[in-house]
Amino acid sequence: MSLRGKGARVGRALVRIVSAVLFAAVWPAWAMAAAMGPMPAAPDTAAIKAGEGIYLRGELPSGAALQGRRDDAVPSARGAEAACVNCHRRSGLGSTHQSNGLNAKANGNQIPPIAGRYLFESNAGHDEANLPYVDGMRSGRSPYTPATLGRALREGIDADGHTLGKLMPRFALSDSDLSALIAYLNTLYPAHVPGVTPTVLHFATIITPEIEPERRKAMVEVMEKFFAERNSRQMVPSAPMRVSGKTQYGRSMFMVHRQWQLHVWDLTGSPETWGSQLDEHLAREPVLAVISGLGHNWVPVHEFCERKQLACLFPNAEVPADAPGDFFELYLSRGVLLEAGLIANGLLAPGATAPVKSVRQIYRSGDSGEAAAGLLARVLRDKGITVHESVLAPGGGSPASALRSAAGDDALVLWLRPADIVALGDPKEVAPRIFMSGLMGGLEKSPLPAEWRARTIMAYPFDLPQKRVVRVDYPLGWFRIRHIAVVDEQMQVDTYLACGLVSEALNEMVDTFYGPYLIEEIQSMVEHRIVTGYYPHLSLAENQHFASKGGYLVQFAKPSGNGLVAAREWTVP
Amino acid sequence: MRRNLAYGIRIGMGILVAGGSLALATAHAEQAAEAHASHVVRLADSVTRSTANYVLPAVTLTRADGQQVSLIDEIGDGRPVVLNFVYTTCTTICSLGSQTFAEVQRKLGAGRDLVHLVSVSIDPEEDTPQRLRAYARRYDAGPQWHFYTGTVEASLDVQRAFRVYRGDKGDHSPVTLVRPASGSGWVRLDGFATAPEILAELKGAKSRN
Repeated sequence: MSLRGKGARVGRALVRIVSAVLFAAVWPAWAMAAAMGPMPAAPDTAAIKAGEGIYLRGELPSGAALQGRRDDAVPSARGAEAACVNCHRRSGLGSTHQSNGLNAKANGNQIPPIAGRYLFESNAGHDEANLPYVDGMRSGRSPYTPATLGRALREGIDADGHTLGKLMPRFALSDSDLSALIAYLNTLYPAHVPGVTPTVLHFATIITPEIEPERRKAMVEVMEKFFAERNSRQMVPSAPMRVSGKTQYGRSMFMVHRQWQLHVWDLTGSPETWGSQLDEHLAREPVLAVISGLGHNWVPVHEFCERKQLACLFPNAEVPADAPGDFFELYLSRGVLLEAGLIANGLLAPGATAPVKSVRQIYRSGDSGEAAAGLLARVLRDKGITVHESVLAPGGGSPASALRSAAGDDALVLWLRPADIVALGDPKEVAPRIFMSGLMGGLEKSPLPAEWRARTIMAYPFDLPQKRVVRVDYPLGWFRIRHIAVVDEQMQVDTYLACGLVSEALNEMVDTFYGPYLIEEIQSMVEHRIVTGYYPHLSLAENQHFASKGGYLVQFAKPSGNGLVAAREWTVP
Repeated sequence: MRRNLAYGIRIGMGILVAGGSLALATAHAEQAAEAHASHVVRLADSVTRSTANYVLPAVTLTRADGQQVSLIDEIGDGRPVVLNFVYTTCTTICSLGSQTFAEVQRKLGAGRDLVHLVSVSIDPEEDTPQRLRAYARRYDAGPQWHFYTGTVEASLDVQRAFRVYRGDKGDHSPVTLVRPASGSGWVRLDGFATAPEILAELKGAKSRN
């Protein structure tokens, strides 16, 4: 260590002490402690909650809206528009590359990390193992004290007396607002993130009990082989080089190449018990994120992830939760809920046939069709269409007999799985227009009886087979080489895609392993992806959770075979 | 400095014609012009003004009211046009741009219906007409401020035509495009253009005619 470095450090410490003394009169005791050291002594739950309101929603503890004033040239902001999260993100790590819409470096508008450690610890000559590099960190800036942070937030003057950018609002904050905000900032990107060890990153995948063993095996095998391949490519920490004492690749390189470990969490029993089962799994096996999973009703899994603030990427959820205010769950698509929208578009589209006045839906209670039928019924009833339902008990009753008692409707919607579809019976008696869920019914491999094929329009929330062939070819080749049996091509290809997305996002994140940052990274990078599995394109952004947003309505091209033709072009409901 | 002077002259002329078709109260315009003069000094480094003649693609867009419309017809309805690109889930620059449009609308007062504000989504699959309507309500968009979505290809065509496509929506930069009179060329303001700057461009055309 050079003398100069030491001097600077002593000087900075002096500044810290002096400023602490200067502001002692106006600062509470804990803030004094914070000024002397990097972190406040004890987290105050009420203060953290109050600070979260400011950070996420622009709500002051008093209930008033946060006011952020900008230079007259740039519009001011209040309430939710003034909330810190808009620019500094849920992670508190500021802009990831290109994610903030400010064309970061080029416009000089890069948004710095404000998670507590990046504000209150020295960023200069930082120890990457403890405070990983993120884009936008101000490596030259002196650490903030609560007092100088207050000045930055209120007056736009940073710890070294420099003026902050004009896009950073100047906020009206009381001392207690500021303490609350600091308490919250100190919870962001903590030094110890569950599921991250010096040598291993832990991930989970979740399987609900109704999933057939062969499909479970097919998904887990894709993930295990993906993990094994990723781990086999890893560099092990090399011996320290004789002169510098550093490892051959540098510490940060070693840290990027942590081993990935997969935990398969199998759920049992009824959905009401899944939440507590998942809590137990997580307590036993802390994980950084959940990748993939297999299940019909995904709402309990979604709720668990949001409650535990666990980052998730779900390619195979048939019924995702539709909770726009949630943060931690990303899906490749909206599943059967998207299909309900596609079918609604098909039913409501002005066409050659007379307008539809009554629709009958058929589904098994407790299966994914129940949620989809509920959504479609709401949409149709809003338009004045009568909706009837034929509900089959789980495991009982045949669709053919349910349909016999259901003549007289203009359209029929089938939310059925292959086992029911083969037993549909004679379509002569049923409604003139027939729609079905492709996701539940087996897509182009659906065993739809011959006399139904010509009349049935299928919701198809993927790219058409002839258009996706190149994008799907790579994963299929990858499976072939690794002797992975293809049991459910769409599910396995999209599971592989999800693993790839997480892997790429983590590579971008370098050492900064943190769930919210992973979500933000995937949201910003997914649009660049060229290999997009079964989907024509993927796109996410802040506050978006479903990467593929549209789908086709298709029909079988011929009385036999898997060929499809589009009955309606790609639309977004 | 030269550019600032040019701005000043144009603003001065803008005040002279403020009683014209835009129907701005003189006092109002003076205030705006005063405020504007100070902004130009501060923002001189960050807003770049240029002019261009863009060839508009013959695309069909979906307006927020659900109507399928031709971009060329919408922009060529005879009114001066102020155009930008937004996406509704954007939390950073889009909200600043939309706040600025709202301010332009306020400052135009009764004359606002003589100007066409156009916001085109660069995230058209997420931004359904319904979401655009909700977004418009957030900024109190009046009947002269239209929002458009459409297919991904149509949105890309429009972005490319105006030279604003940056590879993905997250990377877009703030650009305001002004066509001060029907049939004239476009003024392009790169950076965070202010409401008074946009108004000055609209008025500048009147003074030149």
